[in-house]
Amino acid sequence: MIHRRFSAVSTTVVLLLAVTTSRAAGQVPYQRIVRAESEPQNWLTYGGTYKQQRFSQLDQINKQTVPRLKLAWAYQIRQPGIVETSPIVVDGIMYLTEPPSTVTALDVRSGRTLWTYSPTIPADVIVIGSPPVNRGVAILDDTVFVGTVHGHLIALDSRSGAVRWDIAVGDNKQGFYLTLAPLALDGKIVVGVSGAETGIRAYIDAYDAKTGRLVWRTHTVPAAGEPGADTWGPSSWKTGGGSTWLTGSYDPELNLLYWATGNPAPDWNADQRPGDNLYTDAVLAMDPADGKIKWHFQFTPHDVHDWDANQMLVLFDAPVGGRTRKLLAQANRNAFYYVLDRATGEFLAGVPYAKQTWAERLDAKGRPIKRKGIEPSLEGTLIFPNIQGAANWFSPSYSPRTGLFYQGAREMGTVYYKGEAEFQPGTAFLGGGGRAVNGDEAWGAIRALEGTTGKMKWEFRLLSPGFTSLLSTAGGLVFGGTEEGNFFALDADTGKPLWDIQLGAAVRGIPISYAVDGRQYVAIAAGFTMFVFGLN
Amino acid sequence: MSTNRLCAGALFLALAVAPQRLNAAQAVSDVEQGKKLFQGLCVTCHGFDGTGGEGPPLNRPKLTSAPDEESLRKVISQGIPNRGMPRVRLLTENELRQLVSYVRSLGQVSQPAPRGNAQKGSEVYGNAGCASCHIVNGQGGSLGPALTEIGRLRGPQYLHQAVVDPAAVLPRGTLAVPGRGFTEFLPVLVIMRGGREVRGVRINEDVFTIQLRDMTNTFHSFRKSEVETIRKEPDKSLMPSYAKRLNARELDDLVAFLSSLRGEL
Repeated sequence: MIHRRFSAVSTTVVLLLAVTTSRAAGQVPYQRIVRAESEPQNWLTYGGTYKQQRFSQLDQINKQTVPRLKLAWAYQIRQPGIVETSPIVVDGIMYLTEPPSTVTALDVRSGRTLWTYSPTIPADVIVIGSPPVNRGVAILDDTVFVGTVHGHLIALDSRSGAVRWDIAVGDNKQGFYLTLAPLALDGKIVVGVSGAETGIRAYIDAYDAKTGRLVWRTHTVPAAGEPGADTWGPSSWKTGGGSTWLTGSYDPELNLLYWATGNPAPDWNADQRPGDNLYTDAVLAMDPADGKIKWHFQFTPHDVHDWDANQMLVLFDAPVGGRTRKLLAQANRNAFYYVLDRATGEFLAGVPYAKQTWAERLDAKGRPIKRKGIEPSLEGTLIFPNIQGAANWFSPSYSPRTGLFYQGAREMGTVYYKGEAEFQPGTAFLGGGGRAVNGDEAWGAIRALEGTTGKMKWEFRLLSPGFTSLLSTAGGLVFGGTEEGNFFALDADTGKPLWDIQLGAAVRGIPISYAVDGRQYVAIAAGFTMFVFGLN
Repeated sequence: MSTNRLCAGALFLALAVAPQRLNAAQAVSDVEQGKKLFQGLCVTCHGFDGTGGEGPPLNRPKLTSAPDEESLRKVISQGIPNRGMPRVRLLTENELRQLVSYVRSLGQVSQPAPRGNAQKGSEVYGNAGCASCHIVNGQGGSLGPALTEIGRLRGPQYLHQAVVDPAAVLPRGTLAVPGRGFTEFLPVLVIMRGGREVRGVRINEDVFTIQLRDMTNTFHSFRKSEVETIRKEPDKSLMPSYAKRLNARELDDLVAFLSSLRGEL
């Protein structure tokens, strides 16, 4: 009864907001993104809001109604490739990306194309370290921003797809490329780079949204003489990696920008890089005005397993020790779930959320106490988690309604090998690799963790370790997918499956929810298709 | 002047000879280093000294998928994913050369004569009724894996074990469906809510459903939430053990016959 009343109220709110925002339809000023939670019919950033919770306040699709979920429309991606996009939705238009770096605008009522833009990608483009994917766009005012696999950031007119500006963020000949959705701040577009597997020295950039002019650049690996350079040995910082390949988060009240960093290079041979290798496998809290680092927290010092920390940094406020704290949480690739105070970087909690065999525990400051014999070797060293991690690029979800952090976990080991590492610009600089122990011995799970402690409340087991992005909703649901093509809704409180459908290909897309004409929809890409579901 | 010319000539000779010695030394070193790489990266499937196992034997003068050096480099550096050969890791040019050298050296070692007689093994195959479940050159039943190319795909030790203890070496899938590396021909027992039992091998599976093929070659599809029990039996095989049905000589002959099946019609 209470639930129904809440449904009716929130649906009214959505409809009212749809009317009030129509005056500025298509225009997305910064303040509108700050208040994104007040217009749940839209999906304005990669993770929905600056908090990157991937939580929808819409509740028309809920525990009672979800069995009536049916396909509303589908859109076929035109180029083959892995589709890992999270669409954004603004006032009736969905902006999605297609591999490798195409942007398409769709009418959300019909699924019909409004415009599409494909940059010219050189035939000899260098993409080492991941498939040539794209995870989404950002929007600010009337401009859509996309990063490309040839290392560019391109600004497009949101109504036509016409190019406003196109700049090189990094030299692709050196191995720089972009797969992430940019983050739009007040007048600035922030992006990171991929390329640690070619030995780049990575950075985070902020560009003027109107002109494409570089406003600031913050390297994730300090140069000689800078703080942290003594964690690298004499010269390995020059090829130190520390990629920044996933979208960050932002707290407008604290005015802090949070960005995660990736593995040191070379990945599996650390002979030339003694020390902690700051600021790799870390989170950086920065001043968005100048990119200065306010605090940092390193999850995996001296990483030798390619455990990038490029997982979503989820912001929420919750009671810890009797008072409400501003928190930042991450389920890290290294199999630990971390909770930090996002104002100060203070470590508050850290526990394994998946099998790991590399650390005895975390100490009081969150630093791992490593076990002996975990290093990659010529003959191979079996370690959990696997080479692609207990988590990876795929998005978790946090529900303020349940206080739970929902995470896809990959239960798989890898035999890690150490090999030669030879730096040649624009070529693989790896120093080894790994052989994942897959098959029936490996599996996956959706896990609901208490947001403030990481304690597991429930688990929904998956057949194989997937790349499962999750969406939680005010309707009490968690949506996710599997490698075998299932897309499903779970009860957010218990993990019980309430609805599922077979989509015919691995679900690598990232789910979102939006509303139009008073009806809620859920969108997910699987295989080469974007599927949109609504109530029958 | 003449001294100088002599010196120059001697130097030329030294330069001409030294690379050959160096090359010979490097070739030996490459094989040794390549062996170390092989024992880390390849031995799990191709067996110690490349005698084969779950993957094909490599101790042959000519490899089917890699008849020359260039194709061998390609197979090692890219894998053959749809046949279960992964690219275990990216190698440097130096490492690739070493691994190629070692694999090539395996084919230059004289091979021991097979213990069995393939022709007699063919008779064992027929008498034991293998063809009721396996296809060779288009003839036979389809309950078990097709064996037309099995001698090219598996080593003799693996084949011997597959005959005496089939459950120990159930094949692993090479395709993405139901999942790369998943056990194929995995025995599964499904017990319906009314108590009816269906036993078969897994054909496919996802989180919510499973598909089986029973001993009569009939397909069954179940929604997991609608059955009482799904019991996977990774320690079993629908194929019986032939350890006591065949004597040692017959086993050797059968393995020799299976090893001779190379897809050459």
